[in-house]
Amino acid sequence: MKYDHIMVRYGELSTKGKNKKDFINTLARSIRNALRDFSNLEYIVRLDHIYIKLNDNSAEEIIEILQAVSGIHALSLVTKIDDNIENIKNTALEIIKLEEGKTFKVHTRRANKKYPIISDQVNREVAATILRSTSLKVDVHNPDIMLSIEIREDGCYLFTKTFEGAGGYPLGIGGKILHMLSGGIDSPVAAYLLMKRGLRIECIHFASPPYTNIGVIEKLKDLLGKLNVYQDKIRINVIPFTKIQEKIYEVSDESYAITLMRRAMFRIASKVAIMRHFPAISTGESVGQVASQTLDSMNVINEVTNLPVLRPLITTDKLDIISLAKKIGTYDISIRPFEDCCTIFAPKNPKTRPSLEKSKEFEAKFNLDEMIDEAIKNIEVIYVSKE
Amino acid sequence: MKDNFTYLDNAATTKPSDEVVALNNVIQSEYFANPNSIHELGVLANKQIYLAKEKILKHFKLTKHKVLFTASSTEANNIAIKGYCLNYKNRGKHIITSEIEHPSVLECFKQLEKEFGFSITILKVDNNGQISLSDLEKSLQNSTILVSIMAINNEIGSINPISKIAQIVHKFPKANLHVDTTQAIGKLSLDYSDIDMFVVSSHKIHGLKGSGALIYKNSLSFLPLISGGGQEDGFRSGTQSVANAVTLAKAIDLIKKEDVNHIIELKNRLVSKLSSVDEIVFNSNEKCSPYIVNFSLKTKKASVVVEALSLKGIYVSSVSACNSKKEASSYVVKAISGDDHRAHNTIRVSFSKDNSLEEIDVFTKELINILETIR
Repeated sequence: MKYDHIMVRYGELSTKGKNKKDFINTLARSIRNALRDFSNLEYIVRLDHIYIKLNDNSAEEIIEILQAVSGIHALSLVTKIDDNIENIKNTALEIIKLEEGKTFKVHTRRANKKYPIISDQVNREVAATILRSTSLKVDVHNPDIMLSIEIREDGCYLFTKTFEGAGGYPLGIGGKILHMLSGGIDSPVAAYLLMKRGLRIECIHFASPPYTNIGVIEKLKDLLGKLNVYQDKIRINVIPFTKIQEKIYEVSDESYAITLMRRAMFRIASKVAIMRHFPAISTGESVGQVASQTLDSMNVINEVTNLPVLRPLITTDKLDIISLAKKIGTYDISIRPFEDCCTIFAPKNPKTRPSLEKSKEFEAKFNLDEMIDEAIKNIEVIYVSKE
Repeated sequence: MKDNFTYLDNAATTKPSDEVVALNNVIQSEYFANPNSIHELGVLANKQIYLAKEKILKHFKLTKHKVLFTASSTEANNIAIKGYCLNYKNRGKHIITSEIEHPSVLECFKQLEKEFGFSITILKVDNNGQISLSDLEKSLQNSTILVSIMAINNEIGSINPISKIAQIVHKFPKANLHVDTTQAIGKLSLDYSDIDMFVVSSHKIHGLKGSGALIYKNSLSFLPLISGGGQEDGFRSGTQSVANAVTLAKAIDLIKKEDVNHIIELKNRLVSKLSSVDEIVFNSNEKCSPYIVNFSLKTKKASVVVEALSLKGIYVSSVSACNSKKEASSYVVKAISGDDHRAHNTIRVSFSKDNSLEEIDVFTKELINILETIR
C-alpha cells in the first residue's frame, strides 16, 4: 500500500456554474505553477476535486507547497486501487494499521452509481474486517481515525490523512489590485490577505530620498520575497515623492502635512491604477492606529479618488497584525530600522480631524497636478520574483 | 554600485591594497595546510606565521614583546582587558580607562565591573578629547592592575600623550598599560616599547577584514577567552589563518611614514573649504590626527546629509541613523562638548593615502550644495 495521490479539495463551495469552472481552472493553474519544479506529476481536474498523481515524487514536499496555495480548502494523502471489494478491505486494513488512535469510522461515498455494493454495505464490510483484525473500536460521532473511501468509475480512493489548506480564493480569480506598500508591519500583511482572497497585487511605494534611506528599497524586496510563495512575481512602482513632500511642508501648516501627503499619495495611486487598468487600490490601514487613520482623516484623504479603496486590516488589532506578520515571515524584516518617512517630517500635532476645505486651500497654493504627473513620469519599476 | 565614487570613510575600513590581495591568493593556495600539523606542509605553514610575527616585531622595533593573532582588534582588546584582568585578579581589582574609548574597551570594563566585581574608574576628557594626566595619577591605586587609554579616538581623531601616560602608569609596579592603537598604527609615531599591550586591525591599514593582532610584553599571560587546542601559546585557540597573519605583516610593512604629509594636505584643504560654512561646527581640532575630521551640523539632520552624499557616490559616516525609534548619538562628541544636539548630528570624514585633493574638492562642493538645498 502506498499513498500515490494527493486529493485537493476546494474552498468556497458556494460558487456555481461558470464561476465554479473559472475557480477550478484558476486553481489548477496555481497548483501547476506552484509544482512546476516537480517532474512527472499528473493532474486529474474534476468538478469536485483535483487529484495529483505523485509518480514517485515526495508527498510531504508537495503538501507543504500546496498549503500556501490559496483556494485550497484541504489536502488529503490518497491511495488508489481497483474497486474489488476484497482489495478495498485489505487496503483499508493496511491504512488503518498505520494510524494512531483507539476508535475509527468508515465513510464510503459511491460516486460510481453502477457499483454493485451500496455505500452502507461497504462501510459494514470494511469495518468488520478492521474490527476482526485490530483492537480498534467503532465511534460514529467522534472517531480518532476517519477512513474515507470514494468509489469512482476509474477506481477506488482511500484516505485518512487530511491537511488544512490556506482557504481563500485562487490567485487571480478576483482580478488585480494596486496596493500601497510602505515597508512597515501592516502593508505586507494586507498584501498577503489580498492574495489569499484571490487578488493579484501590484505595489506602489513612495520614496523620498535623501530623507529616506536606500535600505528601504532592499527591505521592500525582502518583504515581497516572503510573499512570492503566494504570488510568484510582484511588481513595485516606486514613485519619487521628495519634491512633493518638500513642497507640502513649505506651503502648509505642519499639522496638515500628513493629510496633504496622504491625499497626494492617493491621487497618484489612483492615477497609476487607472493607467495600468486596475479597478481598485488597497492599503494596510487600520482604524485609529495613527492620526491619519481616524475616520475623519480617511474621509478627507479618500475624497481625492472614486476608486474602491480596499483596507483588509481595517478592523484588525495591532497584536493580531503582528501575529500574522510573524506567521508569514515579514515581521522581522518590517522592523528593520529603515523608515519610509524621515522623522524630520513627523509633525508634532498632526490633525486627527482635518477640514476638507482647508486641505484644498493648501493644495491650491501650488502646482500639485503638474508635480504629480512629473512624479508618475519618473516611476522606477522593480520586479520581485521567486528565483 | 557606482563606477566612480569618492570613499572618505577610511576610519571605518580601508580598501585592501593590491599587494595584500595578491599575497592572500598565493597563501590561500600554497600554504593551505593546518599550521599545527606535524607533517611537512604543516611545518611550512607554521613557519609563515612565525616569520610574520618576526616581521611585525621588527617593524615596531620591539624585542621584549610577542604577537598574538586574532580576528580583529576588538578581539585583541577583549583579550588585553578581560583575558588579562581575569588572569591577574588576585593582584588587584581596580582598573582605569577613559570615557571616550571604543565600545570594545568600554564594554569589557562594564562587564568586568558587573559580572566579575572589578572596580572601575572612568576618566573624563577635556574638550580636546584628552585625559588629564593629573586625574590619571590621582586615580591610580595600589590595587590598580590595568590602565587602558586609546592613542587616537576613532570618532574625532583626538590624540592622547601615550609616552607621558606610560611613565605615570609604570610608577605603579602592578599596573600595566593597554593602548587601543587601532586608529594609530601607521598613522602616528609612537614608542611602542613603552606600551605593555597594544592592538592592530588589518582592515584599517589596507589589509583584510577578520584579521588583527594583540602585541604584548612577553612577561604577560592571559586567561583564555577562547579555549581549545592551545594555539597562540594557549591564549587563543583555533586554527590560525596563515593568510591573515602574512597579509597583516605585509600591510604593516607597506606603511610609509611619509604618507602622513599628504594626509595633512587633505585635512587642511577640507578644513579651509568648510570653515566658512555657517552650518558646520568642527568637533576635531588642530591637535587631532589629520586622518579624521569630525564635524556637527547646526540645523540640518546629519543622517539625511550622509544619505544625500551617498546617492552622489560620496561615502562618509555618521553615528546617527535615520531611525525614529532610536536616535543614536555620539557619546564621544557629547563628552567633549556637553552638547546633546551636536552629538546627534555628527559627520565623520576619514582619509587614506589614496585620497586626492580633487576628491576633497568634490566632497566639499557637494556637501555645501546639499546643505543649501535640503530642509
